[in-house]
Amino acid sequence: MTDTETSTNDVKQTIAKLPIAAAIVALIGIADAVFLTVEHYAAEPVPCGAGFDCEMVLTSPYATLSGFVGNIPVLGDVPLSVLGAAAYFVAFSLALLAAFGDKRMWKLYGVQVTLMACFSGLLIYVQAALIHAFCQYCLISAATTLTLFLIYLLSIFTKPKSQ
Amino acid sequence: MKNIPQAKKSNAPLLIIGAVLVVALLGGWYLFSSSKAGTNANIAKANNANTTATPKTTTIPANAPQGATPPNQSGSATALVTIEEFADFQCPQCAATHPIMNEIKSTYGSRIRFIYRNYPLDIPAHDKSYDASVAAEAAGMQNKFWDMQNLLFSNQKAWTADPTYKQIWKDYAQKIGLDIPKWENDMAGIAAKARVDEDKKRAKGIGVNSTPTVYINNVEIPFAQVNVAGLKQIIDAELQKAAPQGQQPVPAAPANAAK
Repeated sequence: MTDTETSTNDVKQTIAKLPIAAAIVALIGIADAVFLTVEHYAAEPVPCGAGFDCEMVLTSPYATLSGFVGNIPVLGDVPLSVLGAAAYFVAFSLALLAAFGDKRMWKLYGVQVTLMACFSGLLIYVQAALIHAFCQYCLISAATTLTLFLIYLLSIFTKPKSQ
Repeated sequence: MKNIPQAKKSNAPLLIIGAVLVVALLGGWYLFSSSKAGTNANIAKANNANTTATPKTTTIPANAPQGATPPNQSGSATALVTIEEFADFQCPQCAATHPIMNEIKSTYGSRIRFIYRNYPLDIPAHDKSYDASVAAEAAGMQNKFWDMQNLLFSNQKAWTADPTYKQIWKDYAQKIGLDIPKWENDMAGIAAKARVDEDKKRAKGIGVNSTPTVYINNVEIPFAQVNVAGLKQIIDAELQKAAPQGQQPVPAAPANAAK
């Protein structure tokens, strides 16, 4: 085996599969949240599939922080999609750092995606019980968060492979 | 994490993170600048699609709290069909349901009894909802409940996030010809609040956990059916059921009704 091949193998071992998967899934979340943020500030209706009522959800008070913290000046007007984009970006960064071998980052990732999954559950409840309408982009975000959380759970329960 | 080996320090992750951040920002900026130019011809059509969810329904138990007495009602008190709506003035879907109920009321007139129940939800996003209910009840003390209810729902977006909402409501009160000092006194008094509290007690007693919740002859209507066509179908069936044998009820047709 040449030196070059040895080096390549080291890199392959370094990049663990689950954090890489998490980083890729987080990219979907970033794209979704960025899209919703842009549409929020562009104040334009988003294309919405049959069976969904995106406008009802995205123009409700629950689409901004005011739905959860009250009408605090400035802060209350921040759309949840901005927080979502930030959260997915942090999750992506943590997963990537973990993929390159930083174990502490994976623990932080675990804490973060657990909180995100809880908040996603709350948002699903809000859509179902309070707004009575669903937004497909919000469901994509919820599915993304759930996947990030499941990846973390999988990493806990997966036995280390012999190397 | 068990399956992540330690690695040599590398700048690669930071470079990738930076690149993703730049791409996200540039992509967002590009979308923002191009979104204004885009057309959304199919959006309204798609948004008008009805939901197909059919949640379980409940009935109002006989021993449920009565709510404000007399209730805010229109149509005929002796009608064979009673529609009871529990709504919240800051709930977007309640505002969307408002014109539906108006159409139903004007279609069926005195053949139905429509009751509006205040159910201001105790959540931060609905911080003005209780006061809005009190404002409507205070207007009701001058026989203008429906006018105020109509203005509050029709202009929900205008006042719901406005810190000067009380002034906006006052403008509405002037617009519908209320005696403003009396209306303000009634808003501050106990009677209007008591009516809202009584309605809330009824909602909680029944187990209403979201708004709007609509009952027809004490049976909860799945939200997916709270649209003009869905409600007409149920109301017509109820009228048919209640009509004396051999006598056909008049189907849905325009009629004059008190709003």
